[in-house]
Amino acid sequence: MSDARTIRVWDWPLRLTHWGFAVLIPFSWWAAENSHWAWHERSGLTLLGLLVFRIIWGFIGPRTARFSQFVHGPSKVIAYLKGARILGADAIGHNPLGAWSVVALLAVMLVQVGMGLFAGDPYDGLTGPLNSLVGVMTADMLTEWHETFFWAVAGMVALHLAAIAFYAVAKRNNLVAPMITGKRVVDMPVEGITPPSLPKVALAAAVSAGVTIWIGLGAPPLT
Amino acid sequence: MYRSHALNFMAIAALASILAACGGQTTTTTGPEPAVIKEREKNFKVIGNTFKAIRGQLEKDSPDLAVVADAATDMNAAALKIEGYFPEGTSRADGYDTEALPTIWEKPEEFAKANTMLVDASAEMITLAQGGDVAAVAAHVGNIGKTCKNCHDTFRLDDKK
Repeated sequence: MSDARTIRVWDWPLRLTHWGFAVLIPFSWWAAENSHWAWHERSGLTLLGLLVFRIIWGFIGPRTARFSQFVHGPSKVIAYLKGARILGADAIGHNPLGAWSVVALLAVMLVQVGMGLFAGDPYDGLTGPLNSLVGVMTADMLTEWHETFFWAVAGMVALHLAAIAFYAVAKRNNLVAPMITGKRVVDMPVEGITPPSLPKVALAAAVSAGVTIWIGLGAPPLT
Repeated sequence: MYRSHALNFMAIAALASILAACGGQTTTTTGPEPAVIKEREKNFKVIGNTFKAIRGQLEKDSPDLAVVADAATDMNAAALKIEGYFPEGTSRADGYDTEALPTIWEKPEEFAKANTMLVDASAEMITLAQGGDVAAVAAHVGNIGKTCKNCHDTFRLDDKK
């Protein structure tokens, strides 16, 4: 058993992405409720960029950010729920159940942002950048789904917050501080993550910005 | 440890209820919202939905002009109701959650004219759809769209910001 020490668990681009979601999801909802449609669109497109970044980061980021490191099959999830301790490199980062919560959160956000791209009516206010690619009735349907599906996103966020509260109260494990500082105290024999390489951050940022700008322009032909 | 968290939660809950109470107070300063605001929004929704139904038909390979004529009839009926939905004291400036600008009451003649444009354009759409000429119906969609935009530009809150 090693002594208690502070190690890095979450890299800074991952934390920035996370808090971007935390700020922009409520902001997008507020902007829509108060008819600030240009802000709603800007916020939605920024969320799209963050989502694309997070997905790329899930392949090239440090180990706690990688899907291949934290997404496991049902047997590990069940073992974790039965109280199995996770050892080795996976002892920090998402636990097997939380990993699926991350996947679900990303999925509902992607679906929500994706529908928003097609939403609106050109004769009635602002439209998503891809609105003209679908028919008027399809756009109308997607607009209504986009409005209703917010509650699926809100539900997943509520579950996420409930889990954090559960860890804080029942397991006496503060998950919020490490997501802010990137560090936590451990007494297990596990190594922290290495700092993210700047060229990789730049690559992921450039690709996600490029994809977002292209979609924001209405996905024009590239040739 | 558990106790301090419980106290935190209680403090947050108390704070939230205080904030909720504040919110309740600020919304009651202008009095209850006149029912006509929701009714006219519903009426404009009818206009929007009938216009979508018309455009939806025209996106099809063989548009059903009977559907277009029906939608245009409903649109026309809703357009005729507009003038009755704007009593004094129901603008955004009166503190209600509405996109109706005070310009409606400042320029009543212009507002009536804008309304008439939609009444006429939708009546024309009924005639064209009954006439059976798909190309003429399709060409007239833009004219209806212009009447929407014309009125929104002057009398409705610009919510593209």
